[in-house]
Amino acid sequence: MNVRQAGHVLAKDLRLGPRSPVFLWVLALPLVFTFLISAVFGDLFAPPARLAVVDEGASSITTALQGVEGIEVTLLDDPAAMAAAVEAHDYDAGLYLPAGTDEALASGRQGELELLVSGQSLASTRVVIGVTTLEGVRAAANARPPVEVQVTTLGEQNWTPVEDRLLPFIVMYAVVIAGLFLPASSMVEERERRTLDAVLITPVKMSEVLVGKAALGVVLAVLMGWVTLALNDAFGSQPLAMTLFLLLGGVMMAEVGLVVGSWAKDSNTLFTTVKGGALLVVAPVLFTLFPSLPQWVAQLFPTYYFLQPIYDMAVTGTVFTDHVRDLAVCIAICLALVPAVSAMGRRLEQRLAATV
Amino acid sequence: MRPAVVSTIVGKDLREFRADRFFLLITGLSLVFYPLIFWLLPSTVDETLRVGVVQRGLDRVVAAVSDGSDGLAVVELSDQATLEEALLSADADLVAGLVFPDDLVADAAAGAPAQVSLLITADVAPEVETALAALANEVALLALGEPPPTNLLSEPVVLGEDQVGDQVSLREQLRPLLAFFVLMTETFALATLVAAEVQTRTVTAVLVTPATRADFLAAKGVVGTAVAFTEAAVIMALIGGFATGAPILVVTLLLGAALVTGIGMVAGSFGRDFMTVLFTSILVMIPLMIPAFSALFPGTAAAWVQVLPTYGFVQTLVEVTTAGAGWADVSAELMLLAGWTLAAFIGGWVILGRRVATL
Repeated sequence: MNVRQAGHVLAKDLRLGPRSPVFLWVLALPLVFTFLISAVFGDLFAPPARLAVVDEGASSITTALQGVEGIEVTLLDDPAAMAAAVEAHDYDAGLYLPAGTDEALASGRQGELELLVSGQSLASTRVVIGVTTLEGVRAAANARPPVEVQVTTLGEQNWTPVEDRLLPFIVMYAVVIAGLFLPASSMVEERERRTLDAVLITPVKMSEVLVGKAALGVVLAVLMGWVTLALNDAFGSQPLAMTLFLLLGGVMMAEVGLVVGSWAKDSNTLFTTVKGGALLVVAPVLFTLFPSLPQWVAQLFPTYYFLQPIYDMAVTGTVFTDHVRDLAVCIAICLALVPAVSAMGRRLEQRLAATV
Repeated sequence: MRPAVVSTIVGKDLREFRADRFFLLITGLSLVFYPLIFWLLPSTVDETLRVGVVQRGLDRVVAAVSDGSDGLAVVELSDQATLEEALLSADADLVAGLVFPDDLVADAAAGAPAQVSLLITADVAPEVETALAALANEVALLALGEPPPTNLLSEPVVLGEDQVGDQVSLREQLRPLLAFFVLMTETFALATLVAAEVQTRTVTAVLVTPATRADFLAAKGVVGTAVAFTEAAVIMALIGGFATGAPILVVTLLLGAALVTGIGMVAGSFGRDFMTVLFTSILVMIPLMIPAFSALFPGTAAAWVQVLPTYGFVQTLVEVTTAGAGWADVSAELMLLAGWTLAAFIGGWVILGRRVATL
């Protein structure tokens, strides 16, 4: 195999690739998923308590509430508009603080404060907002806290926010779309347009075509994996080790992509195959997302061996030496796929020769 | 336009759908996975904070703080060790525990702040931790005979129908959305069919028969609407979606099916090959899915979301299936949906018609 010829194939694909919609997917979808997961799904699984406040006198209660982590305070001007918004469940609760509230409370007069709650708000959210607001009211009334509360966290500190547990999904998407789908669709597209026949009548061999296409997938998989990890602030202290696992993940997916791309007779078949086989690729992500599932099952799926180390290093703070076994399995899978790629390449070459 | 010719083309298209492995796979996956996901989701909403409390002599004030609130349940425990054990056990289902010292009142009355331990599990949200610390203070102040300066906690004003104890579960929220996602998938199926006809120019073969362009377009409309409607209706039936407001839901699904058919005709007209159709369809689907995601979140959707073509469809399904809305409640949304459906259908008819004319 001539590396220079493979380089020509890679250069051609790099030059012509951006014309393909798949190329745009590779670049855009990980970014879209990062945005959706951080901005949308995080709040969906763990919604913050939402409190609207109409404060006509710059009350200290508002300031106290704004400093509470986990309660989203929105200042409104009109009490009627606030009531309407609370009724529509735009907010879980609404608090109206007329001018002079703090002075009235400090002087010991009973404040006429009303907490409006939405009929659709959760009972627990009402308690959280109610008790927290009451503490602000007590402080405004100069009530000295009679107790000191000492907080102790019990159990293993292994709880991970949903946004973090979705990290393998985004990384998987970046690596699979670039590493697997790009070389596979490129192979199929070249066959459908018969440009592969044209390439193979030049000195370029099938093995060089396969290596060139795989190289593009691997490069983009690593690149998009980097971008995804950077956007999610997930590089941690092990950027080199993560890059190594991204590289191996990219190689593994590119090999699978070449096998599928050489086998599929057209785009329709390719897409059907990728969709049908998606479970094998996505399965480890489900086990990260739902930690109560038996975790050993995830180890039956090849993608586990590059996704799990990346997740562990990014989220739970493990180091490279904790993942030597994963690395070995990853390399073994990549090596085991080489004969399959080679066989599918030869088969494709024979089929092309037969149809010329 | 002649019904006999249209029905012949419809029959041909349905046979093609049956022969399309991709379509059959997508359909099969949808019919299995969407209901499976639905039935695996939780059907109830836990809206109670269960807090373990260790105290002596504070029964009255602890009861006063928790009584009448559905959001707070106090579980009395004998000592801190039992509380810690309960917090670490999944069976007790406690989120936190408060340990009040025996001499709380005496210490506080003497001016020395008493130490209260707040034990939390690792997954307690920060606002809950803050609220429970405030609750400990409130218990102590009540024990010292200092009532709250306002009655915020005991008498909040509830606006709208109070759904405490009857909240819409994630499963119920997702029921209308599953039907929506099935319809969206059909946009792609029809777009693929149309694009294939255009690419392979079988449409020109059809048009040399007595069939006219109007017959061809009408047949595409019928096939797309029928297939999308049937699949969405089957999914809705499998997930118990027709339990309330079935006639409204049937009309909504029909309008939604016609809407995605119009969109599919447009996407298919632009498709040069399978990948382009896939890409175009996804590009179209992303903005159309925004109302569905928006419906998962509480409150009113933003104004720009309300003008999207699928908003009327999603909102009608949500209101009927989760709030039992009637015709009058959803008339505005249905009118909006009907308007967009008409526009999409006319758009699809014109654009695909022009594409066919150029072949």
